Amino acid sequence: MLARLIPVSLALVLLQVALRFKDDGDLARRLRARDASAMRELYDRYGRLVYSLIMRMVRNSAAAEDLVQETFLRVWNRMQAFDQERGALGPWVLTVARNRAIDYLRSTDARMSAGLLELDRLEHPAHFCDFEDRALSLDRARRLKNAFEKLTPNQKTVVELAYYEGLSQTEMAERMQQPLGTVKTWVRSALKVLREQLTEAATV
Amino acid sequence: MTCEDLRDSYELYTLGLLDGEEKREIDEHLGRNCAVCQKHYKDALGVNAVILSQTQQVVPPSRLRRRVMASVGIERAGWGWVAALAAACALIVAMWLSLEKRIADRELTEARRALQQTLADRDRLEQAFSFLNQPETRQVNFGQGQPAPPRGNFFLNPRMGVLLIASNLPALPTGRAYEMWVIPKGGTPRPAGLFRSGPQGTAMHILQGAVDPNVTLAVTVEPESGSPAPTSDILFTAGF
Repeated sequence: MLARLIPVSLALVLLQVALRFKDDGDLARRLRARDASAMRELYDRYGRLVYSLIMRMVRNSAAAEDLVQETFLRVWNRMQAFDQERGALGPWVLTVARNRAIDYLRSTDARMSAGLLELDRLEHPAHFCDFEDRALSLDRARRLKNAFEKLTPNQKTVVELAYYEGLSQTEMAERMQQPLGTVKTWVRSALKVLREQLTEAATV
Repeated sequence: MTCEDLRDSYELYTLGLLDGEEKREIDEHLGRNCAVCQKHYKDALGVNAVILSQTQQVVPPSRLRRRVMASVGIERAGWGWVAALAAACALIVAMWLSLEKRIADRELTEARRALQQTLADRDRLEQAFSFLNQPETRQVNFGQGQPAPPRGNFFLNPRMGVLLIASNLPALPTGRAYEMWVIPKGGTPRPAGLFRSGPQGTAMHILQGAVDPNVTLAVTVEPESGSPAPTSDILFTAGF
């Protein structure tokens, strides 16, 4: 299931992502100055990724367009709270996009387990400061791809459900009809594998 | 729990998927500005960003960019479409007005032609009444007793001319017209004007100017440009 997330031309995509994230400082400064051309550049840089992520989650093109619009509007309106010197624009935009999609999925499923206020708090721009440059490096992304391939099918499923469907561990257990303890083990072991691969890359 | 006990929970925490005791523990650690937990928190955001950024990419529709820009007030949504629509509407209106003007011009031309025809008919009728009202006007009919006759009357006024009123005229071939002739006694026929019949085979023709009171009048069918002398049989004739 998760293998579908990995594009065939992985190297090119990862390179694009890494380069995007790296040059975001100047873009953030211009966005804070309400520079219209910066907003166009932000969309050109992240629009496709945001749309792809949201489409992957909601699987509805009309809803995805609405949510992409909401994502960029929210970023534009909250730029003044973003630290242009220390902030990581890309991760923040992706988090805002994911939260819009999760919000949509929960509203259509009548699921309110995590609550909208919690998502709103977690995507505050202040949380996206002081990322290490190498945190989003090409090498780390490549290692993550390799790490995905090492996960068991159950581990891949719980990562999928957490990142792209926004299910809590309790909800995953219900969905997969497995004991909560078992699901927690899969989640933690999967995230540990991914994290260690990325940490290892960051310390090389 | 220690910071390390919580290490495996930060990704779920930053995704908003953690609840219960573990969430409260992390909130407390972060609230104490624990440096280790702050680092775990940032690392988790980094892991999440890398995972989310590896979604298989699809191309968004081009209109979405305009829509996003419009939502933040940078560009007007659909402005190009509105302008194109306005231009198309303006073109349609201009074409419609042009067509209406052409129709109006044609109707005006036809009305003017009809008015001129009506005025000409009125003048001819006034001339005819003037002929008929003169005491010296004499009348000679023709065609009486003939089986398939053109019938009618010549009215001759030596001072004013000749008035011809005829009916039952045969339909004219294409390119032909009736021509009236004035034939003095012992003389040759002189052209006295071309005319056509109406849809019902009727006609009225006037020759203006003084005319010898002792003449014979005749009508033949001639080329529509007229002839200096009759080229066909006499259709009808009458003598004064």
